[in-house]
Amino acid sequence: MIRVPPSPSGRGASVLSDILMSTQSRNRSFKDAFLSPGLGLKAAVLVLLTVLVAAPLLKVFGATLAPGAWSAWSDVLASNLSRNLFWLPLANTMILGAGVATGCVLVGGFLAWLVVMTDVPFRRTIGLLATLPFMIPSFATALAWGSLFRNARVGGQIGFLEGLGFSVPDWLAWGMVPTLVVLIAHYYSLAFTVIAAALATVNSDLVEAAQMTGAGRRRIFLGIILPVALPALVAGASLTFAGAVSNFAAPALLGLPVRMQTLATRLYGMIEIGQAERGYVLAILLILVSAFFLWAGNRVISGRRSYATITGKGGRAKRFALGTARLPLFVAALSICVLTTVVPVAILIASSLAPSSSALFSDWSLHYWIGASDPAIARGQAGIWNNPLILSATGVTVGLGVTVAFSASLVGLLVAFVLARFRSGFLSAAINQISFLPLLVPGIAFGAAYVALLGAPIGPLPALYGTFLLLVVAATAYLVPFAVQTGRAVIQQVSGDLDESARMTGAGFLRRLLAITVPLAIRGLSAGALIVFVKIVRDLSLVVLLFTPTMPLLSVLAYRYASDGFTQFANALTVVVLVISVAATLLANRLQAKSQPWLQS
Amino acid sequence: MIQIESLHKQFGSYEAVQGVSLSVPKGAFLVLVGPSGCGKSTILRMLAGLEAPTSGTIAFGGKTVSDGGRGWVIEPSRRDAGLVFQSYALWPHMTVAGNIDWPLKVAGLDRDKRRERVGEVLDLLGIGQLADRYPNEISGGQQQRVAIARMIAPKPGILLFDEPLSNLDAKLRVEMRTELLRVHRATDATSVYVTHDQVEAMTMATHVAVMNGGRIEQFASPGELVVRPRTAFVATFVGTPPANLVPVVNGAYCGRLADAALAGRNGSAMFRPEELTLAEKPSDRTLTLDYAEASPMAGRVMVTGIRGDLRLTAITDSLPSFSVGDEVHFQLPPAPSMFFTPEGVRAQ
Amino acid sequence: MKRMMMIGAVVAALAVPAMAQDVDTLSPEALRTLAQKEGKVTVYSFTSRIARVEKAFEEAYPGIDLIGFDMSSTEMITRLRTEAAAGITNADVVYVSDAPVVLSELLETGLLKNYVPPRIADKLDTAFKSPLLAQRLSTKVLMYNEAAYPNGAPIKNLWDLTTPEWKGKVLIVDPLQRGDYLDLMTEFVLRSDEMAKAYKALFGKPIELDDGVETAGHQFIVDLFENDLVLLASTDDVNAAVGKLGQDQPPVGFTSYSDRRDNEDEGWALQVVSDIVPSNGIVFPALLALTADTKNPAAARLAIDFLMGDDSETGGPGYAPFYVAGDWATRSDIKGHPDAIPLADFKAWRVDPAATEKIRKSVGDLVLQLQ
Repeated sequence: MIRVPPSPSGRGASVLSDILMSTQSRNRSFKDAFLSPGLGLKAAVLVLLTVLVAAPLLKVFGATLAPGAWSAWSDVLASNLSRNLFWLPLANTMILGAGVATGCVLVGGFLAWLVVMTDVPFRRTIGLLATLPFMIPSFATALAWGSLFRNARVGGQIGFLEGLGFSVPDWLAWGMVPTLVVLIAHYYSLAFTVIAAALATVNSDLVEAAQMTGAGRRRIFLGIILPVALPALVAGASLTFAGAVSNFAAPALLGLPVRMQTLATRLYGMIEIGQAERGYVLAILLILVSAFFLWAGNRVISGRRSYATITGKGGRAKRFALGTARLPLFVAALSICVLTTVVPVAILIASSLAPSSSALFSDWSLHYWIGASDPAIARGQAGIWNNPLILSATGVTVGLGVTVAFSASLVGLLVAFVLARFRSGFLSAAINQISFLPLLVPGIAFGAAYVALLGAPIGPLPALYGTFLLLVVAATAYLVPFAVQTGRAVIQQVSGDLDESARMTGAGFLRRLLAITVPLAIRGLSAGALIVFVKIVRDLSLVVLLFTPTMPLLSVLAYRYASDGFTQFANALTVVVLVISVAATLLANRLQAKSQPWLQS
Repeated sequence: MIQIESLHKQFGSYEAVQGVSLSVPKGAFLVLVGPSGCGKSTILRMLAGLEAPTSGTIAFGGKTVSDGGRGWVIEPSRRDAGLVFQSYALWPHMTVAGNIDWPLKVAGLDRDKRRERVGEVLDLLGIGQLADRYPNEISGGQQQRVAIARMIAPKPGILLFDEPLSNLDAKLRVEMRTELLRVHRATDATSVYVTHDQVEAMTMATHVAVMNGGRIEQFASPGELVVRPRTAFVATFVGTPPANLVPVVNGAYCGRLADAALAGRNGSAMFRPEELTLAEKPSDRTLTLDYAEASPMAGRVMVTGIRGDLRLTAITDSLPSFSVGDEVHFQLPPAPSMFFTPEGVRAQ
Repeated sequence: MKRMMMIGAVVAALAVPAMAQDVDTLSPEALRTLAQKEGKVTVYSFTSRIARVEKAFEEAYPGIDLIGFDMSSTEMITRLRTEAAAGITNADVVYVSDAPVVLSELLETGLLKNYVPPRIADKLDTAFKSPLLAQRLSTKVLMYNEAAYPNGAPIKNLWDLTTPEWKGKVLIVDPLQRGDYLDLMTEFVLRSDEMAKAYKALFGKPIELDDGVETAGHQFIVDLFENDLVLLASTDDVNAAVGKLGQDQPPVGFTSYSDRRDNEDEGWALQVVSDIVPSNGIVFPALLALTADTKNPAAARLAIDFLMGDDSETGGPGYAPFYVAGDWATRSDIKGHPDAIPLADFKAWRVDPAATEKIRKSVGDLVLQLQ
């Protein structure tokens, strides 16, 4: 990686080159001299983003305003159906969001504090383990919970604990409690990463200055460390809240059997049974709720106080000595990590091999993986290796992942380049806002929006419903914010000065992009592309509405198998998704050479 | 007031401080100066109580505060000492007044006394109007003052400064030097100041410890350091410009310019810049070097020449018209003002 | 010369519809030749038994690939409508239940076309030939665990399900997710008179309707939900919960009578509640149709012909997966399954698509409200 320090003359060079360009342009056409530089590029990128991101959202809004669809609004908000259509799901969604955010900040914050600021043993291991749960798709964790805790209320296979003879109560097997636990176990690693990074930049001087005053450990923690880490805590809470609110898999698998609906599952249900307008109304409401809380979280963080700590000779981070609490805290941390990483994966693998999930560790058979169709087992379903639908689903899923990795990276790089190059102006501001819009939109609502937009032909263009192209376009649009973030990081690595010196030679935009920016940034780009690949391969919320029988996807198939009671196949498929997901994520981390400074000392 | 006795500090196998001893009276302004990695900051942190010595003792006012041999250390807050960090370490979530108030709160002062004291130090540092601002809303120099105000608010007997001026621009640095001394005198405390800039040491200190590689090269007043440097390192470290050292081999400068005054010795000869003159032509008392730079200073001109490892600076009255590539002939006086052994220690 | 060409063109033009009509009247052998040129046929099926039909079809007609997708009728209807709106035709043959919705939303809008294989046209009642071909009759009825209750069903009156004894022990698939179950709920409302009579028979007094409840049928639905009716995701879940061997006091549930066929393989003891007042559920047709814009017309017709069964008594390999107790063939020449209760003696109500379609949505909203 080349790091070129920003030169104080950077702006001067840019002004100089602009002047040069404009004097050159006097020889060109009149028009060129008047239009601001890069107008064409900015406009093109803006149009691209509008089509990708803004159009589907507007379309879904418009679909609910069509004359025949007015009643959907009143049905959802102000009828005797509203309680079950909107208000109860809204309450459940809020409880889920708040509960998950709180739990994640507590668990993630606890682990972050342990790893970054104390002398707990095996810090490196805990730090690594704490980032893993995010690689496991939430529907995998939900299925694992089911294999353990399912009770007899809904028939089908009972879980391992019931099989052992324990009587698992309803509130533990289904509904809000398991959904909360599963989502916290999935999202806490997100909070951990954010909070650990923030704690690592808390200059040790701040703590030592407090030590000089004679403040005890507890007072320093509550009075200095906690407040300084507050922005990270709020960011962690905000992100995990948004994630929980838009999650579809966990409440669908664990909540529906006890009629616990969230906005995400209700929305899905309405569209599935053909009441699309009600579904779209729910989608809009879900987006509004999610956006509001993200905005509110942002407001809390930004304000007069800036928490950027001045870097200086911060020196060695002196760690809190835990004393006698060292071992118990280590055991607690390790248990959390193992329970949320190793255990679900082990259960998934075991239950894909065991014919009966009430006896997870007996009679293991490879039938569900490679067995031929046998009417006596699972009503004749062949093992996943022999099932042509699953094989084609694997092909489609991986193909989708690769294609979207390319397309999203391209769009992200383009947008990031434009934003870095042209920082001011209305067009740039618009591009900035629109490119981050998908962050506010839950995946399932985005899927609904795309069905609304591209489900029917638009003028001469054919409809994309059921095509691979639709999946690619929707997934690209959904991941634009992440791609832009990666693009930004990559562009930053290549200082503007390098690009401008190329401009002085007269090289065109595309040539500069390919000859200078891309080669220097290929590592960061690859890592970003891998992350996009993983996000798509294991995503369920976005694709569950875009799925058609001719365009099968692994995650949706796993979900459908699980809903139909074919738990072993569901789990086997999930293991496949898991392996792909973890492998790609580890590779991406390698490429990014993400240093975790808190593990250095 | 401060007594350091055979202080050692080892990090793993690395010896950061090797056998340092010194003592300063109350009211002194002690400066620890030296290149990076010489151990000065480590000593400061041991004085503050943030690090424990591997062996040796530190005493404030006769009372032992750190004993490396016995392994106990009085905690920082009970040493009656305050520390200003190089990064200022202002707590970003508290206002300026809040930053100064918090230590007093921890110390248990009641509200009225705290308010009074906070106002006092704000006025002393001239930053009263910044009381309600947050650290990120004020300039670097202002943050510096807040850090100092926070340190002196609890009225410590010993003030510790860890390279406090290194983040400021040159002009501000000069202003703040005066400010710091003013605060030092106003609080009637004993100060220990760590820096790598010998100018600060020369202008501010009553006592200077020049350090190198974990050891004290010389502990003396600033004047003494210039007039009677104990080692070659000190000679070439302090002073603006520092003294010149010419290697002597078998009684000849640079091995070629023999001089009876050298009596066949080996080592280095020290010439002060004002003792060298520039000659028009080479002779048997000149050393010829390539012109490097010339800069005006206090009405005169410093001219520097370099050749190989040898670098000489002379001070002359008028600005000669040298350009890059010219040769400069430095004329040596009859005898060197000081002679150092090959080990770098002053010889008789 | 020009005149000859004109006549030739007119004859050709006239021949095209004649040829199209020909396809409908072709015999299976003739269809086979055309179908082999087309090479494949896609079937959307509401039952997973299509996998077995696929195997049998490809054995009987090598060279023609039958691709079966199974999804619930509700989902299938939504998909077909969405695909049609998008101008896409993925499916060639549609094998679907939930007639009330299919007729109004798919047939009347021109998305489906009827096809009756000429070979068996005379072996079917008119009711089973139009408006769409019915391949068999299926059921959604109350079933119990005969191993736990060896002396017969513990339910004698539908209203028993609303008593405290059966609180939380009545299972059904979510009617909003599976249209056939919504049809069942609708049938309760359509037969309100019988429901009211049955109420009186059980409780000894005439039924009193809650505020806002219109009929005895509606009241029954309300009472079921109030008695903690358990909603599951699929019939297999209901079957397993009700039928699993070794249970002391298993629940009862509404599911398909024909699922008894899996009793041995799965370790179930499912049995239908046959002696009950006023009825144990509904009987409804499973419909076969062509998609209007099918790309494989000959293969599609061949598949439908195959699914109707061959000329043997039991219907042969094409019909074999459906030749079970609890499914009744619509063809008059296929013998009833030896273990089955004859259709005439079965107490379930027959669904009337037109009447059901009218009030279905409001019953759906009621269920939504009660959930």
